[in-house]
Amino acid sequence: MSDETGPVAEPPVDGDDVVLRLVDVQAGYGKAALVLRGFSVEVRRGEIVCLVGPNGAGKSTVLKVASGLLAVRSGSVWLNGEDATGAKPQDLLRRGLSHVLQGHSVFREMTVEENVMLGGYTVADRTALLDRVEFVKGVFPVVAERWSTTAGLLSGGQQKQVEFARALMVRPDVVLLDEPSMGLDPKRTAGMFEQVARLREAGVAVLLVEQNARRALEMSDIGCVLDLGRVFVRGPAQELLADPQLSDLYLGGRPAAS
Amino acid sequence: MVSGALLFQSLILGLLLGGLYALLAAGLTLYFGIMRVVMLAHAAFILLSAYVAWWFSSTTGLDPMISLVATIPLFFGIGYVMHRFLLARLRPTTMTMMSVLLTFGIALVIEGLLGLAWTGTQRRIHLPYGTSSVEFLGAQIPVVQIVSFALAALSLASLYLIMKRTQFGRSLRATIQHGQAAQLVGIDTTKVAGMGFGLGLATAAVGGAALSLQATIYPSLHWHWIGPLMAIIVVGGLGSIPGAAIAALALGTIRVLLEIPMGSTWAQTVFYVALFLTLMLRPQGFFGGRLAQRF
Repeated sequence: MSDETGPVAEPPVDGDDVVLRLVDVQAGYGKAALVLRGFSVEVRRGEIVCLVGPNGAGKSTVLKVASGLLAVRSGSVWLNGEDATGAKPQDLLRRGLSHVLQGHSVFREMTVEENVMLGGYTVADRTALLDRVEFVKGVFPVVAERWSTTAGLLSGGQQKQVEFARALMVRPDVVLLDEPSMGLDPKRTAGMFEQVARLREAGVAVLLVEQNARRALEMSDIGCVLDLGRVFVRGPAQELLADPQLSDLYLGGRPAAS
Repeated sequence: MVSGALLFQSLILGLLLGGLYALLAAGLTLYFGIMRVVMLAHAAFILLSAYVAWWFSSTTGLDPMISLVATIPLFFGIGYVMHRFLLARLRPTTMTMMSVLLTFGIALVIEGLLGLAWTGTQRRIHLPYGTSSVEFLGAQIPVVQIVSFALAALSLASLYLIMKRTQFGRSLRATIQHGQAAQLVGIDTTKVAGMGFGLGLATAAVGGAALSLQATIYPSLHWHWIGPLMAIIVVGGLGSIPGAAIAALALGTIRVLLEIPMGSTWAQTVFYVALFLTLMLRPQGFFGGRLAQRF
């Protein structure tokens, strides 16, 4: 499978705690122009990396490439030090990566139980699965309280927690979160960010895309500003927040035209 | 003046017919749920299975139901292959329209092959119990209709259990409800959708055998069935199996009851009247219907 990946730019060093690394990725949809034009990012264990940038900059595309929903045209994807370029979502899931999609992606007409158990679809060990259920119920109380409810009947914030719980069933090393605050009111958004912080406490690395950029950077370790399919600037999240020019351009100094 | 006994008899016959329609429509609504495919060849496959049942029964002298041992797995396989190599290759954005053309072509091919193999002569299965009936509270119920209904009920119950209780059913429902999320929990959605198609076509195998007991068949007969079946799944809400079953029971019963005052030709229009009323009043269908809204 690695034959089709082209030249390998930068094989990860052994013992390095980078969980997910994208190297010089080019990707796009169909015959349309490229969305990502040489994008690179790395996410370390227990670290939250936040991608910010204008609409259409390619933030969601980065996540789709990382989780195998979209194939790269060139460049490479590394997961836990192993080449994962061109791997399918099922394969990446087994290797420790899960992806929470933008918008609502619960299976609406299934119960919370069915949703969460499907999160463990690739886990064959029944005992491990049941242990994991107890774990996610502990992290997200709503999941335990509404276990037998049809997921589509829950509020937006509750559905998001079910999605988080579903993504955690595989014991991921890294979780990709696409606009988790979308459609939530400010109070629920604050609650959601708390949940993301809990993911970090659980030792999971997080790659986060947020349009609520300022709020997201406040809780992130690393910020990465994406524009025109490339990294425009990258650095510790607090430094990006302090930069007045960036603030004006990308962090909602002016209201974004979403 | 319509007698109470006739009304009661019609009601029973209507429910039996509706049960059979429910099975025939279940496959059709399943294809639509899986990938927005309008499967015009569904009735042609039902007819194919009916022909196989007739042919098997007339050459061996055995009960036509035994042919199901071969047709159910065969149809499942055909459905899987058809999805994998034909339907899955259509562009998702034009899937619904193009699937109409593609499956229209498949229906014509099946019709042509039936004519080639068995000519255009009308065929009918002759069974030892073909003309017998049982009396139930004064109503005369033909045995063949009871057998068809039982077969339909058994198949629908199995379909329900497969969808609700098996890992395959859960992954198929997940694929229908959110394909990308299903991929992201590790489901091979292409394979599962193909198996879902196979499942739909397997219901056509059972439905065809059940119909062969009570219908006189000829190669172009499927065009008479696809219209009412399409109307049933729209009334029930596209993609909803329980919706299709309820709509089928209701419309089947109304159709048989209307035969008393109107005769069978006009009674058949109930499907189209229901279709138009649904599109005017509640275009997403009366039960379920979430999928149609997404259009």
